[in-house]
Amino acid sequence: FSVGYSAVAVNHVIDFKEKKQEIIKPVSPSELFPSLPVVQGTSKRIKVLTRLTLVISDPSHCNLLRSTSPNIRLYDIIAVFPKTEKLFHIACTTLDVDLVCINVTEKLPFYFRRPPVNVAIDRGIYFELLYTPAIKDSTMRRYTISNAISLMQICKGKNIVVSSAAERPLELRGPYDVANLGLLFGLSEGEAKAAVSTNCRAAMLHGETRKSACGIVYTLKKPRKVEEEETLPACKKAKTQA
Amino acid sequence: MVRFKNRYVLCEVVSEDPRCRQCIEDRAVGLAVRDAIGRVHGDFGLACCSISFTVKYLNAYTGTVLLRCRKDSYRLLCSALPFVRQLESRNQRYPCFLNTLHVGGTIRTCQKFLIEYNRRQLLMLLQSCTNEDERRCVQKSLLSCSLTEEQCLSGNEDDDD
Repeated sequence: FSVGYSAVAVNHVIDFKEKKQEIIKPVSPSELFPSLPVVQGTSKRIKVLTRLTLVISDPSHCNLLRSTSPNIRLYDIIAVFPKTEKLFHIACTTLDVDLVCINVTEKLPFYFRRPPVNVAIDRGIYFELLYTPAIKDSTMRRYTISNAISLMQICKGKNIVVSSAAERPLELRGPYDVANLGLLFGLSEGEAKAAVSTNCRAAMLHGETRKSACGIVYTLKKPRKVEEEETLPACKKAKTQA
Repeated sequence: MVRFKNRYVLCEVVSEDPRCRQCIEDRAVGLAVRDAIGRVHGDFGLACCSISFTVKYLNAYTGTVLLRCRKDSYRLLCSALPFVRQLESRNQRYPCFLNTLHVGGTIRTCQKFLIEYNRRQLLMLLQSCTNEDERRCVQKSLLSCSLTEEQCLSGNEDDDD
């Protein structure tokens, strides 16, 4: 059935509890759906992207992001799920990711601080909140809302993306409903609608700029900073066009 | 002038089970929505939203539901709608979810939106029609749906399922 989205990302979660783990190649979207359904209201097909989520609890796991494994470049969006405060700081300031996931299933072990959050907003990194645990379970709903509101108080509602970690099709909700959920999390009306539409698109474009500049970063060290600065204006240009 | 201002929320019941369509009743939907509001907003939210809460219109074929509530508490209602997980009626539970389509101040605006929405749905059905007869039926209903004074609250449509 159709709910009204025009682009969808399929997620792969990598957990680093085992010592040696390699990044799997993403399943190509054409294998999953023989024919992509059409967006409601237009005649274009739904865009399916691939996304990787890394659950990191140790600073050595971050090296994987800098490695030149070819599979990491096949993913359109890279998200990181930090478990400690230091890792949150590292993810916001230096890691090359598009999204930072905020834990919604348990009470956060650390408080957000303003400096790394401001740096992340400047770099164009988005914070992600999941809403499916809130639909399923009552205690998780409380944690979701309390974590979301504490994030809002620090970042003032900017750079937020609300997404579902749905495993079954009945756990999805339409975009209007997800924007209303954003109101529960403490966002204002306009910010909530942006959290579903424009912020997601900007995160996607951030992933694309990261992909395209990736090859240049590792070969030349000196012009590297110039390349990174060039990707930022492309991001901002894309945001204003989107 | 003292007038009670209402908000009318238009939703669509989406479910995987085709039998769920038959058990969509106004009482079942009203109970499910009240239950969701109670779970999310507690006793205060439930009391606020049920001041003028009714299910105004229901279409079991398309799963369209029109709810009414007070203007002051429509935000509580809208934010609790994603938490509806199942419909219960006659001791049977069907998992489903509600998809909010439109919020309007009067029934007439919601009716206009619903007619446009149904027209778009009919167009999409037309594209996926397999049978010539079905195609002709859908085209005929597309041409004849419009807003008239005596018309009841939906465009003409066929049950193509």
